[in-house]
Amino acid sequence: MGLNAPLICHLCGQEHRAIRLEPGEKALCVRCDAVLAQGVRARSHTALVFAITGLALAWPAALLPFVSAGKFGAERISLLFTGVRILWNSGMRALAVLVLLCGGLLPLAYLVILAVLHAPTRLDRQKSCFRLLVRSANGLEHWAIPEVQVLAVLVAMIKLGSIVNVAIGSGFWCYCAMVFSLLIAQHTSRFNPTVPLSAAGATGAAVPL
Amino acid sequence: MNLRLAGARFKNAPTAAALALAAAAMLVPANLLPVLTTETYGQSRSDTIFSGAVELWRQGLWPIALIVLTASMLIPVLKLVGLGLLLLGARRGASSDSRRLTRVYVALDFIGRWSMLDVFLAAFLAGLIRFGELSTVVPRSGIVAFASAVVLTVLATQAFDPRSLWRAAPSSSS
Ligand SMILES: [Zn+2]
Repeated sequence: MGLNAPLICHLCGQEHRAIRLEPGEKALCVRCDAVLAQGVRARSHTALVFAITGLALAWPAALLPFVSAGKFGAERISLLFTGVRILWNSGMRALAVLVLLCGGLLPLAYLVILAVLHAPTRLDRQKSCFRLLVRSANGLEHWAIPEVQVLAVLVAMIKLGSIVNVAIGSGFWCYCAMVFSLLIAQHTSRFNPTVPLSAAGATGAAVPL
Repeated sequence: MNLRLAGARFKNAPTAAALALAAAAMLVPANLLPVLTTETYGQSRSDTIFSGAVELWRQGLWPIALIVLTASMLIPVLKLVGLGLLLLGARRGASSDSRRLTRVYVALDFIGRWSMLDVFLAAFLAGLIRFGELSTVVPRSGIVAFASAVVLTVLATQAFDPRSLWRAAPSSSS
């Protein structure tokens, strides 16, 4: 791997020879303009720091009050996964699992994988567990969608505003901060999902073969 | 050519087409069946995705209505139309449209996630609004059909291999 392996565009299959990139530089596919690789500072720990921050925020996000609603003196506090429990109890178990996965467990798994991939003790890139982790990160990118849950909560808050008294709890702010950390970790990752596996971690990039 | 891409084995046009057709079929009950029932003081009101958005519009919350309509109706339809175009493009192989269709693929891959909005919304409302007789929100079967359609469209996009748009295209060289 590194500069000796060819970079294959994941969108069109065009092969490129790898060249070294400076931090901030991007290599684009000559045929379809897909980003093949990005130059990153070899010692940058941004992705690791944000992945760990995200992991630390996940616990208060799940345990602290998410949103509270009040009507005629009755108050109800919901946590991040209260809706999942209600769906499960009303027999919609597949839906409950889907919401739990996309809004909670998979973002958490994604953060763990990003933290492991960027940990100071580097994994051997030729090893199958390293390749499995990069592959998992690429797959999780489609299913870990906590930012959609944030939008859904904001939409619900506005929708409910005229009917009940709603107040955002500290759990929701922690969840938003976790989502922000995940997005930063994802975008500063050396193993960006848009970069094909053959080029993962390479600091070099592209000229067509 | 060395194509060591994740899950490349499962990427093929017939699988993508089958998943897209299944998604299109699930969109029918998803739009006809109620997704939520709101019970207030013994009165019950069931809403489909569309009637829920219309109600928001009527309450003057039109930006929210637009967001819901875009995420729950426009994006799933756009995704299916886009997938149809991609599958036709893949049959033809490399052409002057390959570059444009590759961009369509990237766009579909990005927008797909936002159609999960209504699923999260239903789960959240069902968890929060439980005041017994006063007011309770109950999720209905339409939301299950809708979630299935969304999952199927995401799987269909993942099953599509964008390299098939470039098959038999001569490699560029500098
Ligand atoms: Zn390309």
